[in-house]
Amino acid sequence: MRKDHDLRELLKGYAFLAPVCALLLAFVFLPVAGTLLDSLHRDVTFLPRRFIGLGNYRSLASDPGFWQSLRFTGLFTLVSVPLELALGLAFALLLEHPTSARGFLRAGVLLPWAIPAAVSGRVFELIYNVQYGLANALVTGIGISEGPVHWLGTSAGAFLALVAADAWKTTPFVAILLLAGLSAIPEDLYRQAEVDRAGPLQRFFRVTLPLLRPVLVVALLFRTIDSLRVFDLVFVLTGGGPGGSTTSLSLYGYRFFVGGDFGYGSAVSVVLFLLAFMLSLLYLRASRFGREIA
Amino acid sequence: MRIRILLLVVVFLIGASEDSHPAGLRPPVKTLTFAVGGAPSELDYWEELLRDFTARTGIPVELLRQPTDTTLRRQTLSVALLARERDPDVFLMDVAWLAQFAASGWLAPLDPYLGRDGFSGRDAFFPRILELADTWQGRTVALPLYVDGGILYYRTDLLRKYGIPGPPATWEQLKEAALKVQAGERRDRPGFYGFVWQGAQYEGLVCDFLEFAGADGGVETVGGQVIVDTPRNRKALGFMRDLIHEHGISPPNTYTEMTEEEARAFFQEGNALFERNWPYAWSLHQAPGSRVKGVTGTAPLPGFEPGRGTACLGGWHIGLSRYGDAAAEGARLIGFLTSREVQKKLALRLGWNSGRMDVYDDPEVAERLPYYRELRAVIERARPRPMVPYYSQVSEILQRRLNAALAGRLSPGEALAAAQREIRDVLSRYD
Amino acid sequence: MSEERRIRILYTVGAVAMSAFCLLPVAYMVLVGASSRPDVLSAETEVRLTARHFLEVLGTGSLHFPEYVVNSIVVSGLSAALAVALAAPAAYAVTRLELPGRMSFLFLVLAVSMFPPVSLVSYLFRMMSALGWINTYAALVLPYTAWVLPLSLWILTSHFSRIPRDLDRAALLDGCGRLAALRKVMVPVAAPGILSTAILAFIFAFNEFLFALLLTTGRNARTIPVGIALFEGLHGEIPWGMIMAAATLAVVPVILLVLAFQRGIVAGLTRGAVRE
Repeated sequence: MRKDHDLRELLKGYAFLAPVCALLLAFVFLPVAGTLLDSLHRDVTFLPRRFIGLGNYRSLASDPGFWQSLRFTGLFTLVSVPLELALGLAFALLLEHPTSARGFLRAGVLLPWAIPAAVSGRVFELIYNVQYGLANALVTGIGISEGPVHWLGTSAGAFLALVAADAWKTTPFVAILLLAGLSAIPEDLYRQAEVDRAGPLQRFFRVTLPLLRPVLVVALLFRTIDSLRVFDLVFVLTGGGPGGSTTSLSLYGYRFFVGGDFGYGSAVSVVLFLLAFMLSLLYLRASRFGREIA
Repeated sequence: MRIRILLLVVVFLIGASEDSHPAGLRPPVKTLTFAVGGAPSELDYWEELLRDFTARTGIPVELLRQPTDTTLRRQTLSVALLARERDPDVFLMDVAWLAQFAASGWLAPLDPYLGRDGFSGRDAFFPRILELADTWQGRTVALPLYVDGGILYYRTDLLRKYGIPGPPATWEQLKEAALKVQAGERRDRPGFYGFVWQGAQYEGLVCDFLEFAGADGGVETVGGQVIVDTPRNRKALGFMRDLIHEHGISPPNTYTEMTEEEARAFFQEGNALFERNWPYAWSLHQAPGSRVKGVTGTAPLPGFEPGRGTACLGGWHIGLSRYGDAAAEGARLIGFLTSREVQKKLALRLGWNSGRMDVYDDPEVAERLPYYRELRAVIERARPRPMVPYYSQVSEILQRRLNAALAGRLSPGEALAAAQREIRDVLSRYD
Repeated sequence: MSEERRIRILYTVGAVAMSAFCLLPVAYMVLVGASSRPDVLSAETEVRLTARHFLEVLGTGSLHFPEYVVNSIVVSGLSAALAVALAAPAAYAVTRLELPGRMSFLFLVLAVSMFPPVSLVSYLFRMMSALGWINTYAALVLPYTAWVLPLSLWILTSHFSRIPRDLDRAALLDGCGRLAALRKVMVPVAAPGILSTAILAFIFAFNEFLFALLLTTGRNARTIPVGIALFEGLHGEIPWGMIMAAATLAVVPVILLVLAFQRGIVAGLTRGAVRE
């Protein structure tokens, strides 16, 4: 009888999980599988659909546009992630410091994160405007440059503009993550370090950083995956230009979708998916979530 | 229990959103929708025209405003057509992606309407354009609403000052004139250049390249092949590169930043003798505050031999969606917008170059837009970019390789050979 | 100078710099939206504040801006509500019932949040197109719910695992079924956590861009991020004043949410990724 009861409980439990499973299956896993399948076909709006196996991938391998977007995406990730981690850590340290203004500071810091990337993209588009943008006002006002800088008109300028805009948008998220990690460090350890006559800098390197390491790793992987799949900001701020130099992988795939070539675009997005997937496996290992539930 | 309520709410809202699937709670409402983009002031004028149409025919039209950028306009249209949406019924297409739309079967043939009930016949429009751009598999799928071709702008005062009789007929003459004038003008204006044109890595570069290559060069589509690597093309690309690096008559940022607006602003500041641009720049050059007002002339672009120059065909064509719900009404709108009366209005009001030939003979138009008569000859000889459905891929390849040659990273021969190779790869995907 | 004093100065400078960094673009956005000319920063122009752009954005029918706002709020609200409603029972089952395979389940859900949207969108587009749902709320609500489910599940799981088992065990002993126990015991106790989960889900759904870009075509279902990205305005070359005014209006809902629920949001975000 107990077994019956247990069995019923078990079934009820799975029933609780079922809706989530169904939704994810239908609107996440199925589309991914569909995209994978599409990538193995020549699927264009002006020709009949045909299975071509790895044909799209072979074309990708010799497609300079694809490699350019891969290079950009990689470089963008390599530059912006460490920047955001460093800035985020600085912010987290500031936010942790107990003051009456803490609530206000946190709300202020959350604003960039809460604003849609597409919206902040347009704001930064104006900020980098050659004639009257904020960036040129600052740069010529401070005297770094004599004339107005054509931010979005050169590949280097557009790249920097994107990194800055992305850092602005996502540093808050990193800061919040690291803040949680910081608050989890027991006070005693700091007090111990003070007793041992460790200065603030030493306290930081001997106590804070080592204990923050797991959270840092989580933040690193999270942000890396996010950077790899960047789309909104690039679409709005640079449109992938100039000359395709700031086209992320997501944007490259998207272009083919709206150009009518679903097969090729799917191949691009599968490559991105595999990159993100490999990284997410690392992330799952690092986050050790299992311990939490048991 | 809560989940059930939530599901009910979801279902209700799905049904309640206006654009319902016919199986939804409300029957679909048939409306004629017209999608067009452009500068906001242009869109205001479209509203005016559409009100006029409704007043005459009693058919209400909803204007769906699109962004100005041509890529965004293509994207929003593509998504709607891919999903076989009922809206928009009528829309404008850039001639560069017209072929892809036609080949994808998104355009309803206009032949049943041509020449009937106030709808103009085929003979009203430029025959070459109709044949090359608007006809797909024997059927007329679009009409040219606005046509464009590159022209040469020049400073009449400077030509006179340096004793040059008239605008150049060959590229060699252009080079000589530019060198002469530039040497002279540089004394007072160190930033003066002989010739500004579009060389940045974007679609415009392909247009300029075709014009440099002229009537004996360019991109040929022959028997399913796309040929770009020809001796004439190599010569043209070499000439373009030399303008920047060897003769120094085009500014160094030609291949990094020069697009239509950069070139126009440069010429308008008085810093150039020659400018290659579309006709739209004329009214801006003549606007108050322009330094070249009253001293700007227009001429057809030169060629390597006299009379062998050409213009790259640009422009916007109007089409009818195959999936719209207001085909008959949409056709009437197209007939209205391509009528002589409305085309003349668009020419006078927005400076548009009509796809109809008779507008060019109109005296009122010729008075307001003095380059119009000349423009007709230019348009008649204009060459389109390859009208193939996969043109955007071809264009990307060309943009990249041509720009690399202009930057000096590749020789013209290497660039065109590489482009030819890549284009062949793309074609093999689409055979 | 004592170390304490030095730290305090450093802190103040840092806090001011941080606030400036975060708020400057927002302030600039509002300033340009409220100015008669976009070149407010150049020394020659005189700055004149006006509400004209805001009124134009809201009042011009053909811009459809209020419709975009409504669409965004409704779609995000529905997605958040649905996500929480589905995640709560799942979180309950994972934390209370020793279900074999619950680890793999969580693993799978977690993996979903790493997927690049571009790898789903083309097939989603064809799916929605075949169903005739393009440019309807359904096309967005269902994928969005799936999109924010992982986050909701994590946070709720974290919350529920902290609630002592005795609480709902007592309810079960009193004869309640599992669902009733969930409803009567867990939800009230975890209510603040559930609220912040819903708010986070709302914000994530509100900010989503790629799906909305491809699955909507017009005012019936288009959301704010897409509306702003494609915004062209009425007069002038690029009407920055109007775009910034529209952007300001667009972020009012999320800004209000952030200001009101700042603590809960922070807690939720950290629960979502950090284990103690």
